[in-house]
Amino acid sequence: MTPPPAGSVAAMIRPAPRQKESATNRDILAVMDGAPLGYWLLLLLSVSLMMLAGGIWVYQVYKGLGIAGYAHPIFWGVYIVTFVFWVGIAHAGTLISAILFLFRAKWRNAINRGAEAMTVFAVLTAAQFLGIHVGRMWKSYFILPYPNQRALWVNFKSPLLWDTFAITTYATISILFLFVGLIPDIAIARDRATGWKKVLYTVLALGWQGSSRQWKSHNRSVLHLSGLATPLVLSVHSVVSWDFAVAIVPGWHTTIFAPYFVAGAIFSGFAMVLTLMIPIRRIYKLEAYITDYHFENMSRFILLTSIIVGYAYASEYFIAWYSGVEPEQTAFWLRAFGPYWISTWIMIICNGVLPQLLWFPKLRVNIPFLFVLSVFINIGMWFERYVIIITGLSREYNPAVWGVFVPSWPEMGILAGSFGFFCTFFLIFLKLFPIVAIAEMKEIAIHEKAHAADHSADHTAQGAH
Amino acid sequence: MPQIDRRNFLKLVGASAGAAAASGCSDPVEKLIPYVVQPEVITPGLAVIYASTCQECPVGCGLHVRTREGRPIKLEGNPNHPINQGALCARGQAGIGRTYLPDRYPGPMQRQTDGSYAPITWAEAHTLLAQKLAASGARTRILSGETGPTLTGLIDSWIAATGSGERVVYEPFDYSALKEASRAVFGASSTPVFDLSKSDFVLDFGSDFLESWVSPVEHSRQFAEVRSVGDHANGGASLVYVGARLSMTAGNSDEWLPAKPGTEGILALGIAKAALDHATQTGVAVPAADVVGGLLAKYGASSVSSITEVPAAAIKRLGERLLAAEAPLALPPGIAVLTENAVATTAAVLILNAVIGATGKTMLVTPEATASGQVGSYSQVASLVDSMKGGEVGVLLIHDSNPVYSMPAASGFNEALAKVDFVVSTASGPDETSQHAHLIVPDHTSMESWGDHAPRPGVRSLVQPTLRPLHDTQAVGDTLIETAKTMGAGVAAQLPSTSFREVLQQAWSDTDFHAARAAGGVFSDASGGGFAVVAPSAASLRFSEPRLAGEGLTLLPIPSPLLSDGSGANLPWLQETPDPVMKVTWQSWAEISHNTAESMGVEYGDVVTVKTGVGSVELPILPRGGIRDDVIAIQIGQGHSVGFYASKTEDGTPGVRGVSVISILPAVTDEAGGRAWLTTKAQVRATGAHRRIPKTQEFDNKRGRELGDAISLVALAKAGHGEGHDGGHGAAAAHGESHEMIVDYDPINDSDEQSPYRWGMTIDLDRCNGCSACIVACSIENNIINVGEEMVLLDRQMQWIRIERYIGEGFQELVTGRNLPTDHEELGNTDVRHSPMMCQQCGAAPCEPVCPVFATYHNPEGLNGMIYNRCIGTRYCANNCPYKVRRYNWYDYAIENIHEPMNLMTNPDVTVRGQGVMEKCTFCVQRIENGRQLAKDEGRPIADGEVTPACAQTCPTQAITFGNLKDKESKAVKRAEAGKARSYRALQVLNTRPSIAYLKKVTRGPEGMEG
Repeated sequence: MTPPPAGSVAAMIRPAPRQKESATNRDILAVMDGAPLGYWLLLLLSVSLMMLAGGIWVYQVYKGLGIAGYAHPIFWGVYIVTFVFWVGIAHAGTLISAILFLFRAKWRNAINRGAEAMTVFAVLTAAQFLGIHVGRMWKSYFILPYPNQRALWVNFKSPLLWDTFAITTYATISILFLFVGLIPDIAIARDRATGWKKVLYTVLALGWQGSSRQWKSHNRSVLHLSGLATPLVLSVHSVVSWDFAVAIVPGWHTTIFAPYFVAGAIFSGFAMVLTLMIPIRRIYKLEAYITDYHFENMSRFILLTSIIVGYAYASEYFIAWYSGVEPEQTAFWLRAFGPYWISTWIMIICNGVLPQLLWFPKLRVNIPFLFVLSVFINIGMWFERYVIIITGLSREYNPAVWGVFVPSWPEMGILAGSFGFFCTFFLIFLKLFPIVAIAEMKEIAIHEKAHAADHSADHTAQGAH
Repeated sequence: MPQIDRRNFLKLVGASAGAAAASGCSDPVEKLIPYVVQPEVITPGLAVIYASTCQECPVGCGLHVRTREGRPIKLEGNPNHPINQGALCARGQAGIGRTYLPDRYPGPMQRQTDGSYAPITWAEAHTLLAQKLAASGARTRILSGETGPTLTGLIDSWIAATGSGERVVYEPFDYSALKEASRAVFGASSTPVFDLSKSDFVLDFGSDFLESWVSPVEHSRQFAEVRSVGDHANGGASLVYVGARLSMTAGNSDEWLPAKPGTEGILALGIAKAALDHATQTGVAVPAADVVGGLLAKYGASSVSSITEVPAAAIKRLGERLLAAEAPLALPPGIAVLTENAVATTAAVLILNAVIGATGKTMLVTPEATASGQVGSYSQVASLVDSMKGGEVGVLLIHDSNPVYSMPAASGFNEALAKVDFVVSTASGPDETSQHAHLIVPDHTSMESWGDHAPRPGVRSLVQPTLRPLHDTQAVGDTLIETAKTMGAGVAAQLPSTSFREVLQQAWSDTDFHAARAAGGVFSDASGGGFAVVAPSAASLRFSEPRLAGEGLTLLPIPSPLLSDGSGANLPWLQETPDPVMKVTWQSWAEISHNTAESMGVEYGDVVTVKTGVGSVELPILPRGGIRDDVIAIQIGQGHSVGFYASKTEDGTPGVRGVSVISILPAVTDEAGGRAWLTTKAQVRATGAHRRIPKTQEFDNKRGRELGDAISLVALAKAGHGEGHDGGHGAAAAHGESHEMIVDYDPINDSDEQSPYRWGMTIDLDRCNGCSACIVACSIENNIINVGEEMVLLDRQMQWIRIERYIGEGFQELVTGRNLPTDHEELGNTDVRHSPMMCQQCGAAPCEPVCPVFATYHNPEGLNGMIYNRCIGTRYCANNCPYKVRRYNWYDYAIENIHEPMNLMTNPDVTVRGQGVMEKCTFCVQRIENGRQLAKDEGRPIADGEVTPACAQTCPTQAITFGNLKDKESKAVKRAEAGKARSYRALQVLNTRPSIAYLKKVTRGPEGMEG
């Protein structure tokens, strides 16, 4: 529409011009604009790793799982370790989105989008490892309870079947959660997008206009999805832990596995959030949105879960000794002092010892320190699963066939490729969708403004909300 | 856009449909083609069994060759054969594979000037050979292993007809020292026969009679019969072993005396003296006292002790015990300890036998020469080598022998062979010797040919063909006859007949040939053993410690229980089966004691150079307990440079596999010209290199877990026989273990109530001696793949049954969780337990609930079924199996490791497993099904003993009994009941309800060491 000439009556009766795009919109959407060389290099690296792993995997399907380092009696190796690792990573997203939402912890708003995206990509990465791990992946659909003329059915007693359901449910819910949360932001992006992006966002925004009725529905669905997702945070990794706890392998067969694994998952998830968000915040200058306050809170979470995990480690050893069961005792003794002692001590130091530094308040907001720590925690948590799975299997009940597992290059390639896969999708997400939830940030801003009179400059007190 | 007309359109449609179809089916279509003309004896799906004779070693065990659709697929012992009575050793089981080896010669071949071989026709081969023979005349020699009587007769008449020179019979392991010693002591020209089935005290001077000496299957059975605590509540026969190394046989003994190698004869005399002294004191008459009394006078216990390094008290004790025993027996030295004084050493053992009264009871000196008598002394081969060197041999026909490998390098055989004008080999596949042949006239394998065998008086055993020859080969007898025909009608007329089969039939014309074919031969009771008196000349025998060349550690070349003299090295089943003691596959290793290794500064897997005056070899070291500090032991059998399986390197490329200890042995003979093996010392030096060893068991300590359990005779007596259930607990308590928390159960509840069957086993560890025949039998029956050295290094061997070898807890204290096991714990005392481990077919199987797709499930007869088609390869079942008996197909082994024509010997009743599926022992479910069919036809349940899994079938000691646990009269149930005081279930603390009842091994312990 052509604007009316200035000074005309029409101009005088025209409503006030629309407010200029908010700073929040501008800053956050800027992340999606353009792509520097560094981005492309990173994407290239990720895609290369992903393709490499894909190639190895195709070769593995053709040749057989023998190209991995499996040695009798260690039938589960790096693939299951990595599967559990990624499932663990996937946990922080839902915790942040759902549980903290329900607890009205507003500080989550700055990091929830990144965490949710991380969740979705981590769970997709993890799910692939189920296929990579099985020996006849071309028959892996047997694990689904589909109706068939041969009247074959699946075994509901098997934890692996529970696993299948847990992972698919979790993937579905976390994708929905991410998408529903994205709708208002996609609409914002739609309004300033051109070309093919316009089409994409128009479709994805589902006709979002920002009407109060839409907001009401949106908030309600987020609330309901949070309710649905909350038990999943606890159940998914519990189920994964039962893959081990239900088996009779010494070192696996313990009752503490479910809480132990859930705490470990949240621990590793928060570490991964830090690993991802610290560089993004730095590169895209989102310091105004992701503040010390957020790091402080995440650090506290990491410290808490580290203590739980450390307690679980100690408890495992205590119970092994206290049970008087010789195979258990031997398995745990050899875990710390046998052929895998390096892995075990990496695990204990990275997960149990190093995070204790977060007792120092200054370190909790020391960004470089947090980044380094988060990387160590990621490494430590991978080794935790490695230690549990490999040492348990290598020192089982029958000493005549004790063995030692050494990972092979192909499986390490696939492990690297899983990071490539994850990063590829995360990087693409970064450019297509707002990495910080714009609408929810505005919510905080409005909230702040409304309460500015009540609250003095003390920002941190908001944590009480 | 190009125009597409109807014609082009149809072309494109056709092409794309073809491409789609071609890409859709990656596997070639295989067709099942029915017989056009049904052969008379073959019914598809049913096995045809031929009785034959095993040709793997000179023993000549009877075979039942099971053939399917015209192809032999499995060997079993002939139950009516007097020697093996249905059992076979590992080598016998693997023997079937020779026929299907991928590297067999396709037909006759002539060597070209460039050293390559070109195929020729048989007519050309005969003509060429006839020409050469005519030219060579009396300069022709035949060098062969032992042959059956008919072929021997034919060769003799052929030599006469063609005017050839002499025949030399050569076996690397011969028993000429025994024959010579028998002559020296008893004046008898035959080899004594040792009858373990009557003995109650066996003193073994290193014969290793359970693994490699003379007739292991028979010895194992006889020894198990006289020793098994199931039949002899007092522990049965005792076994004391004298030797530098704790061998498999020594591991089955009650006491191990690590005498200085080579001094066995002096020790025997010392023990004889002790026995004689004891007899004099107690006033017992000793038969040979007058003759040998003077001879023995100077062998007092203390002087013998200082030479042999055996405590004087032990010498006296043994003398007394031997004298007190009802039917004692001393066994002479085996191959490994034949020194330059082998005859005197053996004679000393025979004298000991005479003194303790074994002659006529357990040692029979038969008047008739046995098969071993056929073997000439090694000195004959040595003189053949001399004449070859002198250019006196025109044609050398080598049959069934591999002297290039098995003759000591120092004998100069290889150089001498080069001087022979024309070398003819009848090898059916390439070996080190046939590589030097000018003409190769490949023989049939024993599965394809006629033949016979007369291993001992009263046993005439028949070899008959079981399939049409796979290649263009010819029986060696026919080759000889055809060549004679080519040489002229006059020559051929002097031979008994015109084909070898007719020659054989003529030779057997005194029997009902048809009946002999059905029975596998003609067997009558062995002619009674002779009682021989020690000849006065024995008194003049001289005994001394042998001289060993060089300095360093005494080099002990030990015959491999599996590869024997190296002839088994090309059979992959024998390569893949772990050595019963060291559990090494596919490779050579050197054994030294921990002390020696420590002083040399070498560790497990370090490569050392072993150097003698003749040469040196490099091989990895395995420090162990149970070996003298001054000894290095290396097994004979590896180190082949030729052979599809025998000669590949670790990564599967052609090369030399392992090392041959023969190549560093000097050519030394004993007093009578027999071959001596223990002849040299060796310098051992570390090279700094390290090598991984394909060893299937690294830990010898069972850590007090319920695996390979043992109970002492005293505890067993305390537990009391016949107390039934409580007896078991009493025994356990007496053994210092508490099983209070274990609820006993009845495995029959673990099958369907409607089903009349619950399959189970009873495994008597007191009978199992570790021979590993079951492993090979199982592999061949169930199409189990031999995965090769590289895979074994990752413990990926596929065998469904393994023999776990544990050493007893002895006096070491097991503090759970705190004693860090070193990788290679002490293997020192004689409490060595061999425990066969296969799928336990648990009633509450941990593998079953964890499979997400029901690929493994519990069948109504209590078996733990495995459905390969359903398996997706999550491998959860294998993780959850506490026995670790499940095996996984990491690759498509069936395609990569079954080399044509090996595929022809796969058992059609058993699925060949593909990539990515789990597999495990099925209790030979195909045999159960077969038994069910037969029983159903007759409208009755399956009878006890009708179905026997391959492992139980071949077990020489009958350690494994299979049966229906619901049938209280079945042998398996009865044996478990009878052995209740010894009964336990593997890892029963886990409550997996295994169907296999193990009966504990009984540790008898030497007298005076009890408590």
